[in-house]
Amino acid sequence: MKRKFDHSPAVSLSNGAPTGPKYWRSLDELADTPGFREHLAREFPEGASTMEGVDRRQFMRLMAASFALGGLGLAGCRRPEKHILPYGKSVEYTVPGLPLYFATAMPLRKTAIPLLAETHQGRPTKVEGNPTYEPHGGASSLLAQASVLDLYDPERATSHTQGAKTLNVADVNDLLARIRKTYAGNGEGLAFLADESGSPTRARLVAKLKKEFPRAIWSEFEPVQDEPPVAAAQAAFGKNVKPVYRFAKARRIVSIDADFFHAEAGSLYYARDFAKGRRVSKPDDDMNRLYVAESGFSLTGSMADHRLRLASSHMLAFAAALAGKVLETSVFEPLTKGLDLNPQWIEKCAEDLLENAGKTLVVAGAHQPVQVHVLAYAINAKLGNLGKTIDLVAVEPSSASTISALATAIKGGSVKTLIVLNGNPVYNAPADLGFATLLKSVPEVIRYGYYQDETSALAGTHLAATHYLESWGDARTVDGTILPIQPMIMPLFNGLSEVELLARLVGEAKPDAYEQVFLTRGGDKKAFEKFLHDGLVEGSAYQTVNVAFDPQRSASVFAKAPSFAALSKDNLEVRFATDHKMDDGRFANNGWLQECPDPMTKIAWDNAILVSPRLGKELGIVPGGSLLQVARKEEAEFQQGKENAFIGEVTLNGRTVRGPLHIQPGLSNYTIVLPLGYGRARTGHVGTGAGFDAYAIRTSDGLGFATGASIKVSTERQLLANTQEHWSMEGRDIVREANLDEFKENPAFVTAIGMEGHSPAIYGDYTPEQFAKLPEGDRAKLITARAAGTPRGNSLYETPNLDGLHQWGMSIDLNTCIGCNACIVACQAENNIPIVGRDQVRRGREMQWIRLDRYYSDGHADAEAFGAEGNKQLPGDSDDPSVSPQVSLQPMTCQHCELAPCETVCPVNATVHDDEGLNIMAYNRCIGTRYCANNCPYKVRRFNFFDFNKRATDALYMGPLGHQKEMPELVKMVKNPDVTVRMRGVMEKCTYCVQRIQQAKIAQKRQAGATGDVLIPDGTIKTACQQVCPVDSIVFGNVKDETSKVSRLKAQKHDYAVLGYLNVRPRTTYLGKLRNPNPHMPDYAKLPLSRVEYNQKNGHADHGAAHGHDDHAAKHGGHE
Amino acid sequence: MSKIFPKSANALPLQILIFLGVLGGVAAAGITYYATPAYLRVGYAPVQPVPFDHSLHAGQLGMDCRYCHASVEKSATSSVPAAQTCMNCHSAIKTQSPLLEVVRQSYQTGEAVPWVKIHNNPDYVYFNHSVHVNRGVSCVECHGKVNEMKVVQQAQPHSMSWCLDCHRNPAARIRDPQDVYNLDSLTLAAQGRLDEAKKFVEHAKIMPPTSCSGCHR
Repeated sequence: MKRKFDHSPAVSLSNGAPTGPKYWRSLDELADTPGFREHLAREFPEGASTMEGVDRRQFMRLMAASFALGGLGLAGCRRPEKHILPYGKSVEYTVPGLPLYFATAMPLRKTAIPLLAETHQGRPTKVEGNPTYEPHGGASSLLAQASVLDLYDPERATSHTQGAKTLNVADVNDLLARIRKTYAGNGEGLAFLADESGSPTRARLVAKLKKEFPRAIWSEFEPVQDEPPVAAAQAAFGKNVKPVYRFAKARRIVSIDADFFHAEAGSLYYARDFAKGRRVSKPDDDMNRLYVAESGFSLTGSMADHRLRLASSHMLAFAAALAGKVLETSVFEPLTKGLDLNPQWIEKCAEDLLENAGKTLVVAGAHQPVQVHVLAYAINAKLGNLGKTIDLVAVEPSSASTISALATAIKGGSVKTLIVLNGNPVYNAPADLGFATLLKSVPEVIRYGYYQDETSALAGTHLAATHYLESWGDARTVDGTILPIQPMIMPLFNGLSEVELLARLVGEAKPDAYEQVFLTRGGDKKAFEKFLHDGLVEGSAYQTVNVAFDPQRSASVFAKAPSFAALSKDNLEVRFATDHKMDDGRFANNGWLQECPDPMTKIAWDNAILVSPRLGKELGIVPGGSLLQVARKEEAEFQQGKENAFIGEVTLNGRTVRGPLHIQPGLSNYTIVLPLGYGRARTGHVGTGAGFDAYAIRTSDGLGFATGASIKVSTERQLLANTQEHWSMEGRDIVREANLDEFKENPAFVTAIGMEGHSPAIYGDYTPEQFAKLPEGDRAKLITARAAGTPRGNSLYETPNLDGLHQWGMSIDLNTCIGCNACIVACQAENNIPIVGRDQVRRGREMQWIRLDRYYSDGHADAEAFGAEGNKQLPGDSDDPSVSPQVSLQPMTCQHCELAPCETVCPVNATVHDDEGLNIMAYNRCIGTRYCANNCPYKVRRFNFFDFNKRATDALYMGPLGHQKEMPELVKMVKNPDVTVRMRGVMEKCTYCVQRIQQAKIAQKRQAGATGDVLIPDGTIKTACQQVCPVDSIVFGNVKDETSKVSRLKAQKHDYAVLGYLNVRPRTTYLGKLRNPNPHMPDYAKLPLSRVEYNQKNGHADHGAAHGHDDHAAKHGGHE
Repeated sequence: MSKIFPKSANALPLQILIFLGVLGGVAAAGITYYATPAYLRVGYAPVQPVPFDHSLHAGQLGMDCRYCHASVEKSATSSVPAAQTCMNCHSAIKTQSPLLEVVRQSYQTGEAVPWVKIHNNPDYVYFNHSVHVNRGVSCVECHGKVNEMKVVQQAQPHSMSWCLDCHRNPAARIRDPQDVYNLDSLTLAAQGRLDEAKKFVEHAKIMPPTSCSGCHR
């Protein structure tokens, strides 16, 4: 449970408050010191007094430099005097050197992710999912991981401002009191524009607000829609309900343009649930089947067993056709006119659904029109899924007005004071509203926000918001469970919490946010403490209601069904996509997110206009020739590894946007995807200049997608920071895949793929195939024996002595990995990994320890370079929307090889093995030869070309002058104190979170005392990537213990080592990927396309089924 | 044949020798001073802001180390006590002592007492107190007989090889776990109970790490 901090700004030091490291409170305290008052009273309060306070640092720096230049003769250089600064008064619960964990939650739109925040002496450094919330099981998301960095963003709004004037806390309170007084009575002329929120406290305050100011306008606006429209549920069931999907119970899933791994509300909840139905360990395990129809290429689409490249505007026709088949009716036929699709696809899909009735689920994307959702409900109702795979839960109807209604009111001149709560409407409101102009016509605009952004620029007053890690509040998960938001730290810059702002406006007696949340929870101290301790209210999920689909009622919505037309180069469809990292643009100044490559395009720091290969060809931007056929790069030109994209111009209804063109295989032929959230006009250093603003052409009638666009290619070029130019696996065996049918027949399919399956035994006495034939218990024993004993096999090298008590290893399940990138940023947060900036990423110097490899396969690996005729076909360039490339995703990080090639080449023994099988880096030994990175077959080592941790990314090349641009103290606060911050010239890489291992070992030994109970129980240590993984793909543990989870996973028959034939004996192994296509479907492929390519490349067509392996080996005589 | 070398050259060999000797001496002194790690300085005893006397508190008064260094059993750091801890007693005795003014100030304002760090491990070393004291390594092994020091000084070099001496042969330095905080106690080996020490090391699986990852992360 978290202490309640006194948020009163008037806390002075002399009142005996707990004390500690002071920097984070200093501004707060400074405001009350006599020195500060004097400073305010002076003629030039800011900047003018440079020689007095601020420049002390520069002075010290100059002095230090002159000392250094003056020779080494000063004894002062030898031993710097360091200080130990203890607390004045001890702080409750705090033990110096040990972190504390508190329950909190990260809200995003109407939902939230329950979290545990790790604090070091009052400084939050990392968040983890709260395991008490069972559906998430302790997992969290990419955005949650990165949100900590926002707290320490030096460019966040650091003061309340009115014009050029800075307001102090008292001024802000006066301002709010004045508004309350001015609009007392009916509130005529007062208007609010807020973001969406699930906070019960906010809902209570808004209700009170409406009572106090009945004529005030309360409107809500979110630029991206992530929940199905309430109107659809109204039409289908006649009740105010929303769906909560139960993916784990569904055997057949159809997604109609729904990216439920990312873009839908509750994506973490759903992805995790989905993985439960996807995970397979034995041949008789059940595995779900996923049909996806989508216009873009989302992560959900990459998981699909059958994928349709269908325009978003054609989804209604698709849904109608599917509903027609499932419901066996022809009512929907008029809606399907013009759908250009093999009818077999829908027929067979419908058959499959009907066969599994009650265990299926049809999900429609939130951005799709009401009709699509109604059809989805109809199908689900017919299949008997209601109450089984889809629960309809009662929700409060929203009484908020819309942004369009607000715009009308502003135009009518009836709004005198507009309060914009969060959001950023000037940037992301529909372009047809002209919100910037409207805002200028409102006499008084008060903006409450985290950044001084586009909206703040047009508002007279800006109130600085608090981060969720520094304010009290509450929120709800997607299933309605109520969560507390607890502060970990006092507001760094005297920010105001949203709850307090509203409470002051409605005249609450105790406007303090803590008091307000306490009041909402009923004011029972004990219950409230439990709430804070657990981090949730048990049993507070939304109530499931029994509903029946009402065909009569729903029929009415189809009268207004939108029509659609065939698309072409001149009538393009534009799909506005929620960006994977920037979301709607709110994370634009977050360096971790900007540098994290998009999971599909692999472009960092920018967005791009995504066009299909077909459109690319028609636009003439496909390089073709050798670039396509030899290197199989993504089809844009590359200059020294940098993607040199053409600039394109998209025009939609007279509005135009310019941006780099990137060809994305797997798109619907005439859909172009514009990721939202980039091109911010007013943000910090990180977000400035990142991408283009797709909101500029987005209007109210086409928030999710719109048709009628055209595109023009200019001759201008832009270099993109693309981290993976390579298109395919080139028929290699990096990701090993099989269809479920093959797996059932031969669970050890992975052993027949790859060179080590064809050579004599490389490791120990068995070939992988023979090994897989051993009984399971023997396999586990052998794995354990190998880990501890490291048989030398046929190796020339001497093997290291692995005699430690534990032997660490990892297993990654490729079958459930959804490629969400959460592990990348979780690792970055845990291990103090710096960002390097766009320019350095272009040079391939990104530092993230985990890389998520994305490979496309289309079944054509017969490239000219390998002696074949050459693949003249563009991948995914087909008229048939059911022809789609497949995607294989693979997290790749240091494999901790037992016979690590990096170690043999290090001239200074900086990278060596420890006795527990870790390949370790001793940073202070490293001299930066980079031989190790050169010799690493997995390319997972990262080199600090510059002092990335110390310098701003634009000062890397400035030499000694760059010291002016060192990282502000604030940014350093996010660093994990348990991990070394690496300097320039040092190699680094994944350590298996060695700090967590050592801490666990120390904790175990501490507990053991004089006893010998020092073995760490299985499951104690979770690496950062494992802990965050929404689908539990990553398992880490002791492979010396044959009963540990990781050992049992490694003993599974579809476990394999990447590049196993090198005999480097990686400690990280992968479980093969499975696909579950329906044999009756017209686009059924007997083998995954990557396997088709593998077979083409290796010249054995019949190899996939694994039988006949011995003949094959005999025939080829170990040719590999 | 006339003389090639002038007479003065006779002194040259000696001069060269002296020059080389001096040069060698200066180089040796320079390398010793600049190139050996500073943290090896045994005997470093800086002036502290409060002249706290360990020989009085821990020695004469017999206070346990853990009264002040409270987190030593739980955390990586033993922690220097908060001013509050001092005030537990000093709000009753020596309440007006000018020497304690800094502590009283700290207690009142929360401003930390700037104790000067004596045992200064480099930042890339992650030393953990708790695992040592809970497993039979006494304070005295690294800090010396603090209970006899009027002014605390560094007693041991704290170099890596010094750490490894013990990590490679823990039995020689281990104490009976009951004696860990008794600074006057002897190691088991010194008491002639080396066999017992070896047995303890084996029984308690005292396997101090000797690879880099033990201390460097």
